[in-house]
This record gives sequence, C-alpha cells and structure tokens, in this order.
Amino acid sequence: MSNSLRPYLSAVRSTLTAALTLQNFSSQVVERHNKPEVEARGSKEVLLNSLTISRNESERVLIEPSINSIRMSIKIKQADEIENILCHKFTRFMMQRAESFIVLRRKPVAGYDISFLITNVHTETMLKHKIVDFIIQFMEEVDKEISEMKLTLNARARTVAESYLMAFDS
Amino acid sequence: MSFRKIDIDAFDEDVLQETELYEPDPRDPAQVLADARQKQATVRSALSRGDISSALNTALDSPPYGPNVDEAKNLTLQTVVSVLNSTKGTEIPNVLKSLSQDAQDTLMKYIYKGMGMPGWGDVSGSVLLAWHEKLTEVAGTGCIVRVMSDRRTV
Amino acid sequence: MAAPQVFSIAQAPITCHAFNGDRSHLALSLNDTKVDVYTKQGKGWQITDTLSEHDRTITSIDWAPITNRIVTASQDRNAYVWSQSLDPDTGRMVWKPTLVLLRINRAATFVRWSPNEDKFAVASGARTIAICSFDPENNWWVARHLKKPIRSTVLSVDWHPNNVLLAAGSADTKARVFSAYIKDVDKRPAPTVWGEKLPFNTVCGEYASPAGGWVHAVGFSPSGDTLAFASHDSSITIVYPGGPTIHTIRLQSLPFVTLTWTAEDTLVAAGYDCNPVVYSGGLDGWSLAGTLDDTVGATKTGGTRTGTVGRLNTAAFNAFRNADTRGHTSETVTDTELHTIHQNTITSVRPYEKGADGTVARVSTSGVDGKLVIWNVSAVSAGGLTGRLGAI
Repeated sequence: MSNSLRPYLSAVRSTLTAALTLQNFSSQVVERHNKPEVEARGSKEVLLNSLTISRNESERVLIEPSINSIRMSIKIKQADEIENILCHKFTRFMMQRAESFIVLRRKPVAGYDISFLITNVHTETMLKHKIVDFIIQFMEEVDKEISEMKLTLNARARTVAESYLMAFDS
Repeated sequence: MSFRKIDIDAFDEDVLQETELYEPDPRDPAQVLADARQKQATVRSALSRGDISSALNTALDSPPYGPNVDEAKNLTLQTVVSVLNSTKGTEIPNVLKSLSQDAQDTLMKYIYKGMGMPGWGDVSGSVLLAWHEKLTEVAGTGCIVRVMSDRRTV
Repeated sequence: MAAPQVFSIAQAPITCHAFNGDRSHLALSLNDTKVDVYTKQGKGWQITDTLSEHDRTITSIDWAPITNRIVTASQDRNAYVWSQSLDPDTGRMVWKPTLVLLRINRAATFVRWSPNEDKFAVASGARTIAICSFDPENNWWVARHLKKPIRSTVLSVDWHPNNVLLAAGSADTKARVFSAYIKDVDKRPAPTVWGEKLPFNTVCGEYASPAGGWVHAVGFSPSGDTLAFASHDSSITIVYPGGPTIHTIRLQSLPFVTLTWTAEDTLVAAGYDCNPVVYSGGLDGWSLAGTLDDTVGATKTGGTRTGTVGRLNTAAFNAFRNADTRGHTSETVTDTELHTIHQNTITSVRPYEKGADGTVARVSTSGVDGKLVIWNVSAVSAGGLTGRLGAI
C-alpha cells in the first residue's frame, strides 16, 4: 500500500468526524419542513465552509457540512481509460441502488464520481464512528475493487485473444 | 427569465447575507497586499537562516480574508506552502507546538486551501497531508471544526 | 466519589429530558411526537403517562418544580402547558394540555420556565423568541415576541434569576441578552450588571465567538452576573459584562451543544464528544478542570492509543493501520465501543440535585444513544482527561 494513502485516509477520517456534528434542524424558510440544508441551501448561515482533501489531482474528497446534513463526494483514482469505464460502471451500479446503501446520494456532485449524503437522522439511528468507518472502508475497497476488476478484465482479454489467435496457429 | 424561477426568499429583508456573518477586515486591500509582500520577504530571510518556527509564525500572522484580496490570499498561501515544503518531517511536531492557537487554526485553513487546489504552484498533496495529520494530533478535531465554522476564509 | 448512575431508557435518541421538583418523575421525548412521563420505581424508571398532542418531533421539555407544570415545544410550531388534574371518572391524576398562542410560523426549538414559573420563553425558527404569560380571562397563554435583532433560528435560551433577563443563542453566531419584562407579571427589576432600565426587548448585550459558529447553548451563572455560551467553532465563551471581560476557551475536541452552571465558578458542558466536561475559573480566567467520565481509566489499554486520529480508534482503522505499517491484514474484529459512558452525542445536561451549600451537586445528561446518566459534579477527574487528550 502506498505511503501517502494512510495520511490521506486519516485526514478524511478526522475531517469527517469534525463535520458529522449534526443536529435536528427544521427549515426556517419553509413552514413545517425539515430538509437537509446542504441540499436546500435556503439559508446561508447554517451552511459551513466546504473542505477539500486531496492526495493528488486525480484523487480527492469534498466535504460540504451544514447544520443538519453533510455531503461528501469522492473522486476515485482513474489512471487510464479502462479504469475510467470501470469506475463509471461501478459507481452507477451502486447509485442505482442508493436506497440500500442509506447514506449514498443518487447523483454525484459535479466533478466527482460518487457522493454521500449523511443527515442528522443517520447520525441518530447509527453510531457516528461506524458511519465514518463505513466511508473509510468504502474508500479503501473501491480502489482495490477497481484494480482487481482491471486485472480480471486484462486476464480475460488475454485468454480471449489467445484462443482466438489459436485458430490461425497451424 | 421565467418568474417561476426567481428565488423570492433571497428578497426577504430579514435574510442573513454572507457578509454579515463576520467582521470585515479593517485594512485596505492595497495595504493587505503590501503586508503580504513584506511578509513573504521576511519569511524568505527567516527560511534562509533555517528558522522555521519564526518563518511560519510570520506567515500566519494576520492573514488576509474577505473579498477583494485574492492576490494577497494567493501570495500568503504561496508563502505558507514554501515554509511547509522546506520543513523536515521530524521537525514538524516541534514547530507546531511553538504556534499559538490562533496560528494553528490559521495553518489548518491554509492546509485545506492548499489541498483544495492540487497542482497549483508548489502545492504537494503528500506534504500537506503529513502536516494535516501532525496538526490534528496537536490541535485536535476542534481545529478542523473551527476551519469549517469560521467565515473569515483565507 | 460515587460512580455515575446510568439508565438505558431506550434504543432511540433522547432529544430532551426534565425532572420534576423532587426528582421522582421524569419527562422525556424519544425523538418523536410524544412525551413520556416516567416514575421512579426502585432503581429504575417506569413509564406512567404519555403526553401526545403534538404532531411533529418534540424539541424541548421543561418541568416547573414548584407549580408542577410541564411545558413542551415541538417542530409543529406549537407549545403546550400540561398540568395535572384529577380525572373524575377514573379517580387518578391525568395530564391536561393548555393551549399556548405562540403566533410563530416556524418550528419551536427550545423552551424554559422563568425562575418564578409565571412565564416561559419559547425559542423558534421564525427568528423570534415568544415570551408567554398566562391570561386568566381566556384560560390560555399569550405570547409577546422578542424579534429584533435576531437574524436566524434561536437555538437555546436561559433565564436570569431575576425573572426578567433572558439570554438567547442563535444560528446567526450571536449570543444575546434581552429584557423580557412584562408589565402585568413582573415587578420593576432591581438594576443588574446587565443594565438598569429594562423595557421589553431591550438588548443588553450581544456577543460572538471570534471564529463564529452557531451558538448551541447559553447559560447565566447562579448569580446571573456572568454569561457562558458554547458555539459550534468548538469553543466556550464566558462573558463578564462589567468590562466587558470575555474569555474564550478553544477546545481540542468536538463542539459542545449544552451547558449548565453548577456554581458561581464552575460549569459543566457536553456535546458531540460524548462526555461531560467541567470548567472552572473566575474574572481572571477560565480553564479546564476535567471530565466527569472516568471510565476510561479502567478500560484503557495502555499506550496503544497514541498517534491515532480522534478518539475513534476503531477496528477498521486499526486493521488498516496494521496493514499499512506492518504489511499484514488481520481479520480480527475488535470492540468498537467508544471509551465513554454515552455512546453518542449528549443532547442536554441539566442540574439534578443541589447540595447543602446551594451549589449543584449532581447533573443529569441525556444522549442520542438513549441513555440517561446522573453524574456527581465533585467527581472531576483530571487524570482521565489528560489521558484522553493525549489520545486525541
């Protein structure tokens, strides 16, 4: 595992811990509504400064906190076109099933590959440190997953090419 | 423009504006820029003497914030990053402990600002991440919370 | 040094709680539209009544100790005053609601009885605080509004012991002191350090923490001469209005959301960091005295907690760190409990019992983890705290 991955993930962890200080907050714009302020953007004073944590140009995390919800977006490392396609397919697969992941957002924020929306309801029903663990684990796994898929894809391509070219091998 | 798309809540006279959430910088933008230039020179000479603590303290002193001072902000970021880049990993904890709480909070702001623009100038992700980790150990998560809640963005 | 008493009330978050005068009853809301009244039975609490009139989440409860009335506030924009009366059919005491004409159009966020229990203040998202007093002619509670210069949702209020001044903390990053003088209810108040002539809606002071942040909690000291507030920039600020002398303490940990004074020179604050912390000091300065949660000393596992980020030194993180530093991945899953009694954010801390010398001897806290804990204020442990701060 590369050397700068650990400080990267620990920076994400501490920033997420700091951002997940949410409380129940009902809208001050619309009567009897209670919605994630980070999405509604109705009142400026309940939004906080958004923070970016980046490892390099192609890997970064954006955390947008507010009083009752945070939005966290991840840009996954994509070194070449195959990874690009794999990453797109992978995140799309997950986001179409967003409700089973509870904290996943159905659409990523512009410029990022996948977004999470965590509200005060989530921090009330789940343990906060578990949510943080889940996200960190996701970030660890997703890189692994994509490079594994790339390996299997290449291996498969090689087998296919070999058996195809076998026909001309006389 | 379709009248349905007008955000009427923005015209509520009670609505709080971004600028009302913090005290504006009393200094004039030109003055801020001159200060930033002068700080850069002081920091350079401190760095050439190898005095990291005082270089960092100077760089983090009264940072520019608010609108209309983008040039001074970038200059200060450059100054801070130059200090961070020229510090050895083993020295970081001692340098951080010599900073005041104000300076620690400001440093955290610059680390996040630097990470927000990777590839800009001499900004290097791994250096900033190393500083971030050490600073979180010294100043705690409270320091990160203050970066989020402080409207005086650098 | 007695250990804290822990009651696991439910698996749901406790949004707010209040004890009655002799602490034999307890009202709390489990993050829903009902208020449950519990009665002390032996060592535990038994649910005896349920107050259901609101149709949105209850945000705050306060129980007047002498007049034995409960006031509840909710996000449905209403507040009710509940008083106990004899039901002629069944012969048992039942809680009956009285309507409060709040005239606010956003959620009610916080409610507190005044010290004389003849009025109460309801904070709201409508950028107002409603000061309610009883109108015997119509048998309902009427409100007068404190409006200016509040610019955002009011998150908390606290009464001055003279029954007139009110402190309010709001999301526009300011803590303010208002006069809530109502002619028909109050006698002319004696001059205080906050001001002399106090007509309704006088702003006696406006304070903010240097790094901003929503003001989650405000509190007057027992004498009323000092104000403390906790804001979302992880700081706690103590204001002496004379100078004014203002002390701001920045925390290493996550922000506090609630605080209460226990004596003229000490206060207890708690919040996202899951443990109640004691501060003490005076006009010359304030400092951390320690934490009430000393369980860490018993369960701590020596030096393994250094060099990690935050106190959330959890299984996934350790597994990952091992993989990173030692190059092996272990599948062992260790316990991921926090090293505190409360396992999640503490939502409110309130004085529970006064000692012989008039200071608060015990405080009660309730948290998102569904626990209610009663702590001994004198059991401050500085040792647990240094160990903890070292681990942050």
